Amino acid sequence: MRRGLFFILAAPGAALFIFFFLIPLVVVSMDGFTGGGSAFLRVLRSDLFWGGLRGSLILATTASVFSLIVGFAVALHLSRIGEAARTVLVFFIALPLTFSGLIVAYGFILSYGRAGFVTQMLAMVGVDPVTFSRLLFSPQGLAFAASYYLIPRVVMLLLPVFVNFDKAQFIAAESLGATRGRIIRDILIPQVLPTAVTAFCLIAAVAIGAYGTALALVGTQVNILPLQLYSMISETGSDFPAAAALSLLLMAMCSCIIAIGEIVAARHERQDAHAR
Amino acid sequence: MSEPEYTIALEGVTFTYPGTDIGVHDVTLGIRPGELLAVIGPSGCGKSTLLKIIAGFVQPSHGRVIIGGKDAAGIPPRQRNIGIVFQTYTLFPHMTAWENVAYPLKLRGQDQASRRAKAVDILGRVGLGTQTEKLPAQLSGGQQQRVALARALVFDPQALLLDEPLSALDAALRVEMRDEIRRLQRMHHIATMHITHDQEEALSMADRVAVMQNGRLVQVDRPRDIYARPVNREVADFIGQANLWTGHITGPTNVDTPFGALTTLPHGRNTGDTVAVLVRPEGLLLGRGPGGVNSFTGTVTRDRFLGSFRRFDFEIGGVTLLGETGDMGEIAAIYIPPTSIQLLPETGSAQS
Repeated sequence: MRRGLFFILAAPGAALFIFFFLIPLVVVSMDGFTGGGSAFLRVLRSDLFWGGLRGSLILATTASVFSLIVGFAVALHLSRIGEAARTVLVFFIALPLTFSGLIVAYGFILSYGRAGFVTQMLAMVGVDPVTFSRLLFSPQGLAFAASYYLIPRVVMLLLPVFVNFDKAQFIAAESLGATRGRIIRDILIPQVLPTAVTAFCLIAAVAIGAYGTALALVGTQVNILPLQLYSMISETGSDFPAAAALSLLLMAMCSCIIAIGEIVAARHERQDAHAR
Repeated sequence: MSEPEYTIALEGVTFTYPGTDIGVHDVTLGIRPGELLAVIGPSGCGKSTLLKIIAGFVQPSHGRVIIGGKDAAGIPPRQRNIGIVFQTYTLFPHMTAWENVAYPLKLRGQDQASRRAKAVDILGRVGLGTQTEKLPAQLSGGQQQRVALARALVFDPQALLLDEPLSALDAALRVEMRDEIRRLQRMHHIATMHITHDQEEALSMADRVAVMQNGRLVQVDRPRDIYARPVNREVADFIGQANLWTGHITGPTNVDTPFGALTTLPHGRNTGDTVAVLVRPEGLLLGRGPGGVNSFTGTVTRDRFLGSFRRFDFEIGGVTLLGETGDMGEIAAIYIPPTSIQLLPETGSAQS
């Protein structure tokens, strides 16, 4: 009886999982493996793929490092201000998370594009609009735009760590003879590091997989894997097995990065449980 | 070089928090080498501020802080070489017990082997020899406080500051830790300032007790002297159990109280003065006094049996007196010997 009830209650969730996660995944996998995995070979043998992988990794690393540094500083600051001010600021910081990547891209084009507001302002003091706007439509520009929605993720992850951090530790460390630098190095960083690594891996995976902002900003001019996939599906659209194979590779990469983050965090905690 | 008389000396130290009158005012106080000085007072009386001033986290606006014979002005906290134990332990959660204790040694550039040996040794002395590899989260509150104590002592600081170190522990453990702190403090012969709001803790542990009120030091004395001769009504009330009444002087050896006239020793006060009349509970004797002096009949309204003694409320004409005695018999009358009566200033820090 109770077992029956369990299945009834679990059914909607299971159906959702099967129809909208499992089946698409299986179909894509089957598609990718038609021809005995030759689609994977086709993808891996093309220079376009390796160029795209390189572009994606550069983009993800740049955007993630930049976002982590900014997010770290923002979270640290937020943890130090009053609760009311923090709530208001967190609301605004979290806002970009709800935006579509296209909107972010459009906002950046309106601000930093060839006729953008900031570009025009800079033009008045002699900055060439064409050169300046080209920055936005480059992999670096892409990384900059990606940071727009990556930084909030870092802040959301790190803020609880900073807020819950017992600041009396700083005073204790100082009374024991530690300088400011040593306190940050010996006391703060080791306690924040596991979460920072997790945050880095999470946003790196997001940056590798995201394509909306990139597509809107640079079309398919910059070679990154999601845009390659996009053009394989939509434009040239001839080799679907290869597109499926690329999807699986992209998915595997993102999963690996997330897994690395989790493993590092877990190992750090284990290390904590024993003496170093 | 001769040892200065005081390891830590405060000379007319004043500090108020910006925009308020809260802080400490004109505090002059010394802690002798090897002495345990308890600073006691109600919340907000400035005792923690005093600790912050000595530790160097707060700079006094007036007065001098002298540590080890040297003016500490301009010396940052990390260079003052003072061990501090905080109320909340403040152990570093990512370090094991021995790493926590060894951290000040690491900061002083000692190699790992020697700092580990020292940390393990002192942890053994606080009874944690088998817990050295544990993380703070794996230790109980009492054990964490022992680690904190070991960490504050391991680098041979010139003084030890204890900021309500026992208030987060449960009652039984608190009593045990009192003895532990006292034992270590004696063993290290280290000048110690112990901040507390628990008068029993202060009286039982300290060589001398300093009582603070509203940011001012009102009395510094040995525990028994503070109890026996408080300088004013607030101190009398704060330290130990007390019967306190407002009284009026009616003669050279007479004072009027809400429950009747009392004969005192010659007090040298003017007739008509208002005073606080103090009688400690053990000063109340059973029966009638010689010649009926200060003798009263009344009724016992509460009687608490506390093992070797009892504490009772004795009502005389609507006024309740608190008494303590080892006599378990009936109580029909009490008397107050003149030697048990003290007249104190009603309020303020005036000398008595």
